Amino acid sequence: MLKILGRKTSVNVQKAMWTVGELGLPHERADLGGEFGGLDTPEYIALNPNRLVPTLDDGGFTLWESNTIIRYLSRTYGHGTLAPADPHAYARAEAWMDWSLTSLYADVILTCFIQHVRVTAKDRDVAAVAAAAKRAGEKLGILDAQLASRQFVMGGQLTIADIAVGTLMYRYFNLPVARPSLPNVEAWYARLTQRPAYQAHVMIDFKPMMVAGA
Amino acid sequence: MKPATLKILGKPSSINVRKVLWACEEIGRPFVLEEPALGSAEFRPLNPNGLMPVIVDGDFVLWESNTIIRYLANDAAAENLLPSDARARALVETWIDWQATEFNTAWRYAFQALVRKSPPHQNKADIAASVRDWTKAVAIVDGQLRRSNRFIAGPAFTLADIPIGLSINRWFMTPIENRPSFPAVRAYYERLSERPGFMLHGRNGIP
Repeated sequence: MLKILGRKTSVNVQKAMWTVGELGLPHERADLGGEFGGLDTPEYIALNPNRLVPTLDDGGFTLWESNTIIRYLSRTYGHGTLAPADPHAYARAEAWMDWSLTSLYADVILTCFIQHVRVTAKDRDVAAVAAAAKRAGEKLGILDAQLASRQFVMGGQLTIADIAVGTLMYRYFNLPVARPSLPNVEAWYARLTQRPAYQAHVMIDFKPMMVAGA
Repeated sequence: MKPATLKILGKPSSINVRKVLWACEEIGRPFVLEEPALGSAEFRPLNPNGLMPVIVDGDFVLWESNTIIRYLANDAAAENLLPSDARARALVETWIDWQATEFNTAWRYAFQALVRKSPPHQNKADIAASVRDWTKAVAIVDGQLRRSNRFIAGPAFTLADIPIGLSINRWFMTPIENRPSFPAVRAYYERLSERPGFMLHGRNGIP
């Protein structure tokens, strides 16, 4: 059985869990990281020298880096559905996955999310959050154009591109940050929130993660 | 029918463009390199992000450097660089992703400060923090090289050595005070230097 190592509140664990949920794969998950710790043991470092979550264990084959994990799961268990069968379409889906790392992750997660959840209001770098939210809004304008004529990032069906980018959207739309009007992104996000696997694995209230005074 | 010659758009000094140039050398794919102006009417429709590299392969256009090198290896069926077996491929992809998520994030501030001499990036504490994170990332490469034996994903050169090798070149080319010594990383740098593609597009004097 598939095993996912990592706390369910980690955005990167959520990508893997949403993928597993969409594919309907039997699995178990173990709490690791954050308040659960366990990332600095020799056993864990041997699996994941980067000491973060998630790590996937597929019958003894172990793997880390969340986007690599979801590509592996989709290629192995979702060829033609989550992983587009056409090589050009697959490469384009990968480009949006990389885009989520290079264009969105730092601003949405490392700045907006961390500053609002892990930093007290008194110590919050308000200017950095505003600048990050502005950049994220501009980047999402690019996705908004892509979604103008599509139900999902690649077209008519959900793929790994939606999973990599869409996991960040629950946080983006539920943080108290300034957002521009993004009608196509908003409609797409609303579609994601209708999916049971998104509800189960991504729409996890992060208020309990907030430090006192945040 | 796509032409044999790939069109690459970008500046040859950009680390992300260099990934694509080196990948073409390893694959043996002929290419032409063009440097359009970023905001130009010719370039803008190709990448809505306004960033390079972009490749044009016949009528297929693709952006994001790590995606491009995976596409090129896959398209050439370069099994040695990117195996088609899902598990073997994933072990290569991990290090390509890690270069984007952790390695590149770690050096960003220090690189702007020490190489680009960017005026908004001269806060001493922030430079020190970035160098500390960068050193931690290089230590992870060092540990992995000790386990993997010779190259980042195993005993043989793979596609993952392209982004990681360029990043290691940047580490050695950046003036860092009291740079810690990582013998496995140094030996890896010399091993990569046996490859013409690395000497042309990686260890070519550009950080």
